[in-house]
Amino acid sequence: MNKNFWFRFLEWFCPPALYEGIEGDLLEEYEIDREERGPAKAKLRLAVNVLRFFRPGIVLRNRFKFELINTIMLGNYLKVASRNIVKRKLYSFINAFGLSVAIAFCTLIYLFVQDEKSFDQFHENKDRIYRLHTTNFDSEKYAQADPSPFNSHAYLPAKMSEVMLDEMAEVESITRFTDYNEGIMSYGSNHFNQKFACADSGFFKIFSFRILAGDRENPLRTSSDAVLTPEVAKKFFGDEDPIGKILTIQSDGAKKELRVTAIIEAPPANSSIKFSMIVSLDVHPWFVRAREQWGNFSYPTFLKVRENTDMKLFKVHLDTLTTKYMGERFKKWREREVIPPGIKPTEFNTLPIANIHLAKDISWEKVSDKKYSWILGGLAVLILAIACINYISLSLTTSASRRIEVGIRKVVGAQKKQVAWQFTIESVVLALISMAIGLVLVVLFLPYFNEFTQKSISITASNSLLILAVAFAITLVVGFIAGAYPALFLSGFLPALVLKGRFTSRLHAGFTKPLVVFQFFLSATMIICSVIMYRQMMYITTKDLGFKKEQVVVIPTQLGWVPETNKVVEQFRNAVKSNPSVINVSGTTNSFNKGWSIYGYRINDENKEAYIYGVDPEYIPLFGIELAQGRNFDAAIASDSNAVIVNEALVKDMKWTDPLNEHLNWEEDTTSLGSKVIGVMKDYHFMSLERAIAPMFISLKIGYLTTILVKITPDQVPEKVEQLRKAWVSLYPDKPFEYTFVDEDVAKQYDMYRRWSKIMGLSTIFAILIACLGLFGLAGINAINRTKEIGIRKVMGAPLSSIFLLLNRQFIFFALIAFVLAIPASWYAMSKWLSSFQFAITIGWQLFAFSLLAGLTIALLTVSYHAIKAALINPAETLKHE
Amino acid sequence: MSKEFLGEFEELVLTMAGILQDEAYGNAIVNEIKTRVGRDVNLSAVHVTLYRLEDKGFVKSKMGGATNVRGGRRKRIFTVTNAGLAMLRAMKESRMDLWKLIPQLKMIGM
Repeated sequence: MNKNFWFRFLEWFCPPALYEGIEGDLLEEYEIDREERGPAKAKLRLAVNVLRFFRPGIVLRNRFKFELINTIMLGNYLKVASRNIVKRKLYSFINAFGLSVAIAFCTLIYLFVQDEKSFDQFHENKDRIYRLHTTNFDSEKYAQADPSPFNSHAYLPAKMSEVMLDEMAEVESITRFTDYNEGIMSYGSNHFNQKFACADSGFFKIFSFRILAGDRENPLRTSSDAVLTPEVAKKFFGDEDPIGKILTIQSDGAKKELRVTAIIEAPPANSSIKFSMIVSLDVHPWFVRAREQWGNFSYPTFLKVRENTDMKLFKVHLDTLTTKYMGERFKKWREREVIPPGIKPTEFNTLPIANIHLAKDISWEKVSDKKYSWILGGLAVLILAIACINYISLSLTTSASRRIEVGIRKVVGAQKKQVAWQFTIESVVLALISMAIGLVLVVLFLPYFNEFTQKSISITASNSLLILAVAFAITLVVGFIAGAYPALFLSGFLPALVLKGRFTSRLHAGFTKPLVVFQFFLSATMIICSVIMYRQMMYITTKDLGFKKEQVVVIPTQLGWVPETNKVVEQFRNAVKSNPSVINVSGTTNSFNKGWSIYGYRINDENKEAYIYGVDPEYIPLFGIELAQGRNFDAAIASDSNAVIVNEALVKDMKWTDPLNEHLNWEEDTTSLGSKVIGVMKDYHFMSLERAIAPMFISLKIGYLTTILVKITPDQVPEKVEQLRKAWVSLYPDKPFEYTFVDEDVAKQYDMYRRWSKIMGLSTIFAILIACLGLFGLAGINAINRTKEIGIRKVMGAPLSSIFLLLNRQFIFFALIAFVLAIPASWYAMSKWLSSFQFAITIGWQLFAFSLLAGLTIALLTVSYHAIKAALINPAETLKHE
Repeated sequence: MSKEFLGEFEELVLTMAGILQDEAYGNAIVNEIKTRVGRDVNLSAVHVTLYRLEDKGFVKSKMGGATNVRGGRRKRIFTVTNAGLAMLRAMKESRMDLWKLIPQLKMIGM
């Protein structure tokens, strides 16, 4: 067998004294493998075995010889490295800038990934804490032959946790937990609209949130106990001792008194369980009804199992329990829908708490997606690659200036290996300098990074060491990767050739060109992606939504789901309608991006569903919604209270030809035809542009108008809002005045996309900046390399323009190749991104043309400085030495 | 007994080197562990362990004669030194002493 690559590799890192013995053993194993498993497998195993020898126990045995020579020379290497860095300031700056930004990016992204992974890991008994989730059979997925025709969500019937605690021996504690509740809380003259979480007393036995003061054993003994975080306690009670104080809460029409029994530490940022205040579930007026309804899936449920619980057995018991209480429902369900035998229509499963943050297949409000870590990681690697390529191509093209040095070193006895080490050390030194700058950048960028990614990562004493270690590791890797190729190239000069001076002034480093093209390719891809993302964001924010969203103030009535809230709308209308700056006042059940209701009903044996909004007759004029047919509601016509106005999508869904003569029997009323359709609205985007316009209708009698909408005249908006506030305070002094604007609420739907396109944009800017600096350096070297050529050309009469072209031609050519490669790559990535929108721009050639033009302009501007400088130089200057 | 201490794997390798005597080289030890203990160990791990044992003075090594099977490469043969043997013995004895301290109630039925 010839000495193949792997043995050479082994020889490279293995101490010579040990080499023969190891090689022999490997060969022996190889022979045996070849007989037993065939040559292909044997070769693979050989490679794996050699790689496994690449371990500290072997490699560090080299230390002796290695240290001796290198410590003598190390001082010299460092001295030469620092001289070189100082001497070539521009190149050092370009490299240090690129590398430091790249290191900073990588460190930040490491922090991000670390934070994602750290979610919910802090609970003492995290191995025994599980969240339950519901897995439902999905007949649509089944019809499409999906291998797993199920949908999962983290909501359970309220009763489930009660029967589990009573009947399952494995359950040590269990709690339901909802955190979306809101109510007005008062203490003395302090009224706040306060969010609160509802839980059972098991909450405090399951999770490891520390109770700072008050009842540590069981702070939720009765339904009127409340547990506060220090921040909320301070808000209501200031410096008074909060324990035992009474708060009044008004929520959904119910007024209740709550006694503060304990203060609990606020949950850390990396907790999926978030709360600022915890009360018993009984506080909620609906809960009394909901807890008996097995069909009401609304309650996330967490449990702690006893030690040494077999989770397989647990699941069996859970299934038995589910069948016991829900079997009847399942049977009925099977009668109504086709569910293949053997498949359960619904079952409950458990997921360890440590995994819930990234379990994106189970729908819950607080789930994250690993995809983001990948995207960010990808961006960091791209920038790192671009910066490394800068380093490589710059050191290759400037190598001419080092070749005499290499020659002399070799003549006085340096081995190739030593020269290679010297250059590697040089690049590591530069990388270390970049690391120092990079760490400063991390500290500077962190607040912005947190804002973009919606995290609250901070640098603490405990993680700063880790950051340092990570940055150091990245730095070493970068130093070695970027340094390796130039080091091998430079150390390969033959001293005889170099010192005889037989070189022309140009040096061909063939590998630079593909690297530059690759670098261009990365930047071009990023440019195209950001242009497309930017265009899509523009499209979304400026698209005509079918209604006028400007200058509409949204004011919650702060009453919740009770009939009185309708009166508040009326009272407020009367109070402000004389104000000349108020154009219109209306009420609705759900304003834009503030929740929605969907209603399923059965008409002519077909399951239909539609979004429903309760409104008043002012709604359509206020938003300027156009009617395709029919008329608006009229308060004077009594029968209108039972009428509906539908959108065009619903007409299409129902296949009506003459909608004004139809009735929509959405209440499945068997005694009448249902609600009369009196109008058809042109489709407007009541949901985000991620979704198609679904069937929807509005009515006067659905639900309660919990939100007041006020259309005001443009200009001087703050003053007008202040007038509204005054009107509110004089009407309802005990309720806080809160407001938003419809256009802002609508824009908020795309916050996530906006953040990501900003991240993309910023990364692109940095990538382009780094790539341009590299290009700038390259162009400079190129111009210097060709100084004499240019001089001769000018003497022979070449015009300025032709020299300019001569110098730039190559770069333009590179850029074009790169763009051709970048088009399919970015097209693929962006069509995936755009597919999450129902309403998206089409990726046309114009976008690519624009990106190409932008990219070329930037590249040209960068290289032109040197081209012009070189073209303008007087040939006498450059040729006088010949 | 000196402060030197043997890990479980080190002890295993050292024992095997003792068993194999003049045939104790990397591959042979891997195979011996496989046949006698039924454990799959990696060649590199055995090598590293042998070198470490050599550092500690429990084995010494010399190059053996060339054979045809290994592409003419010589074997590095490891022999257990007196210190190594003493170490193995000491470990066995201390373990037996400890073993005796375990109440052997379960043995009655045998």
